[in-house]
Amino acid sequence: MRKLNIKLQDIVPIIAFLIVLLFFTVQSGGRMLSPFNLNLLIDQSMVVILIGSGMLFVVAQGSIDLSVGVNLALSGVLGMWVSEKLESPYLMIAAAIVVGLLMGLLNGVIVAKLKVPSFMLTLAMLIGVRGIVHYIQFKTDVSYVSPDLYWMNEPGNKIVIFLVILAIMYYVFEFTRVGRNSQAIGENEIVAKYVGVRVDLMKIVAFGLSGMMAGCASVFSILTVGGTSQTMGSFMEMKVAMAVFLGGVLVTGGITARMYKVILGSFTITIVVNGLAIIGLPQTEVSQSVEGVLLLLILFATIVANRRNARQAAIPDDDALQADGSA
Amino acid sequence: MTETKNLLEIRGLYKSFGSTKANINVDFTLRPGEIKGLIGENGSGKSTLLSQIAGIYGHDAGEMFVKGEPYDPASPLDANRAGIAMVMQELGVIEKLPIAINMYLGRLDRFTTAGVIDRKLLRKEANAVLEKWDLPLFGKNAMPSGAIEHNKIIELARALSVEPDILLLDEITQSLSHNNRDKLYNIMNKFKALGKSVIVITHDIDEMIAIADSITVLRDGEVVGDVVTAETTAEKIRYMMVGREISGDYYRADTAPDFRDEVVLKAEGMTLPGEIEDLSFELHKGEILGFCGLSDSGIHSVGKAIYGLSKLKAGTVHLAADGTRIRNGATALKRKMAYVPKDRDNEALMLHARIVDNATLPSLSIVKSFLDFLSPRKLKKLSNEMIDKLTVKTTGYAQNIDALSGGNKQKVNLGRWLAKDLDVLILDCPTRGVDVGVKAYIYQLMKDAKAQGIAMVLISDELTEVIGMADRLIVMKDGRPVRNIERGDSFTEHSVIEVMI
Repeated sequence: MRKLNIKLQDIVPIIAFLIVLLFFTVQSGGRMLSPFNLNLLIDQSMVVILIGSGMLFVVAQGSIDLSVGVNLALSGVLGMWVSEKLESPYLMIAAAIVVGLLMGLLNGVIVAKLKVPSFMLTLAMLIGVRGIVHYIQFKTDVSYVSPDLYWMNEPGNKIVIFLVILAIMYYVFEFTRVGRNSQAIGENEIVAKYVGVRVDLMKIVAFGLSGMMAGCASVFSILTVGGTSQTMGSFMEMKVAMAVFLGGVLVTGGITARMYKVILGSFTITIVVNGLAIIGLPQTEVSQSVEGVLLLLILFATIVANRRNARQAAIPDDDALQADGSA
Repeated sequence: MTETKNLLEIRGLYKSFGSTKANINVDFTLRPGEIKGLIGENGSGKSTLLSQIAGIYGHDAGEMFVKGEPYDPASPLDANRAGIAMVMQELGVIEKLPIAINMYLGRLDRFTTAGVIDRKLLRKEANAVLEKWDLPLFGKNAMPSGAIEHNKIIELARALSVEPDILLLDEITQSLSHNNRDKLYNIMNKFKALGKSVIVITHDIDEMIAIADSITVLRDGEVVGDVVTAETTAEKIRYMMVGREISGDYYRADTAPDFRDEVVLKAEGMTLPGEIEDLSFELHKGEILGFCGLSDSGIHSVGKAIYGLSKLKAGTVHLAADGTRIRNGATALKRKMAYVPKDRDNEALMLHARIVDNATLPSLSIVKSFLDFLSPRKLKKLSNEMIDKLTVKTTGYAQNIDALSGGNKQKVNLGRWLAKDLDVLILDCPTRGVDVGVKAYIYQLMKDAKAQGIAMVLISDELTEVIGMADRLIVMKDGRPVRNIERGDSFTEHSVIEVMI
């Protein structure tokens, strides 16, 4: 007999996604799913998913990378600058990814070797590096995408490239030691270390991947918008972190971290933001408050589902109950 | 009421959790000045019974009387007021708080005026308790984190500070080393002399027979026997616990060292300040090398250090075959070494993860194929094989580890290493918190591993275990190896204790 093994905590994010989708489709009288808006939705989700697929490795380890938004801006601005200097349009892509990767690796080394909590470090980065972005943008002025790259922004081409990258990230997280070990570190870092996992190396790799994907996303973002700007990537770290948590990944990471959750959560948050605008709530204080309340509700449901599940798991065992009682 | 003779009387107690019946129609009596042993396999409902007496859980049906008065505690504090205090199996100490605060946690009201705690008075009272019961003081009030034994003693002090008439001890001796066990036995004797009573749970039957006046045996939630210790034997109790005969050859039968000449691992002058001083040894193929000592002897640091998890100040650990130095866990893992830490739930297993996640963690680098691919099918197969081979009681590989009983958790913890091709296996208290059935099984696994030529390091607080299994024994004191004893005539508890102290 095949046992159906579906947990409440895994269903809540899916239900939340469906409700949000249904609500805004009905409220907007179908405009939500118009070809134009659908295109917009997918464009916006792609950037969130790409960054999220990298940040997932960090979150799985129980850390957080708040520098992805500013990393996106830095790698975009520097990538454009290099490619214009050397008059090579395609260099922008490579340069952006390399800059993103290097900044991620720097984060990783500081977290792993100097034992600085990732929250503090990347918060400092978020503030400090934004200043550098402003400075470079001021020096180099706004730059525009070379027409040579326009083909990549064709919806068909863009989605294929996106899917290939996502498939690679999916594979690395779900089917290799990097993903598994990252989950193990989030579950219990001491256990991972005592078994013989290279914890420091894994942390550096995770932050490296997170940074690299921020660089990657900056290419997508620049292609969509058409050029760089001072504010590119602002609040992106919050959006991505929200997407990861909305998908049902716990802040503590571990085996709750799954790639499909990032994809699901990214769509949910994109639909909430986009849907509020479409039903006539402009980007004002009102819409932001509504957004906040909605997200809080979904997160609350996810966390309650998780807690219920934890309690059920403890029931059959004498020892586990004991532990529960003493806590 | 006529129960005045009994300090505690329980009649027809029932308790279930969901569909699991933890206690079924339990009758239980405790006389003043009695030391009562409570024994049974993992999951037989001993801890549940104590928890109900201590006011942690309510009961579904049945009655309890303390000194003849009906007793139905709503909380542990309620139980404390009735003169009942418990030391739990799992740790309940907040490590960052001072000892005195931990001792009076939840009962700080009488030290508090306008929300401010009178620390001086608190410390004075705490000290009085510690001195009264002759419990080791810790010098400064700061608690070293992670030391199970220290936490356990604080919990004991907390229970004693209630001045209880009935003290409940749930598997506490297993976390204590030899010297502190003696202190605990002294405390029990003092209780007895004062006409107060103790209920104690331990998996060590010999220990229980030595300390208890009478023993109640539980099986699957029911009382299957209530015997006076003087009239019973370990065999009889074991039989009652499992409902069948357990074979006699628990430990090794041979009385001489038996291993090959080939050296597998060499340690030279290992030094870790404050923990290990100048430790050298050679570990041979098929050898079980035992380590024992008192609580501050540093034996529990040895396992970690051999596996490369500590930064040695001096000395080396290396493989004899090619001289590879073991400097970190990754190298040790790669070179077919394994480490089973003492603290299973915090250092060995990912409690909230599934069996498959835990079981395959050490084997990932072996399962991987092209492009580092970890086949989910192979991972499942590996877990299922381990579950079958070690007869782990579970609903399947996808069950969470924290839903397993202690013994089954330990089976996964050991089994995941034995599923690999190993050269060196380091075991730190491998039978801590498991019942006789699993214990016997673990010894059998060790004998099998020995026959295969795996070199083992056995670190243990249970002297009988080390003496029963080891070929050679290194006794440590204050971090130094003080005596090397070979299996043979002088391999007795008595001779080892003499060296230890």
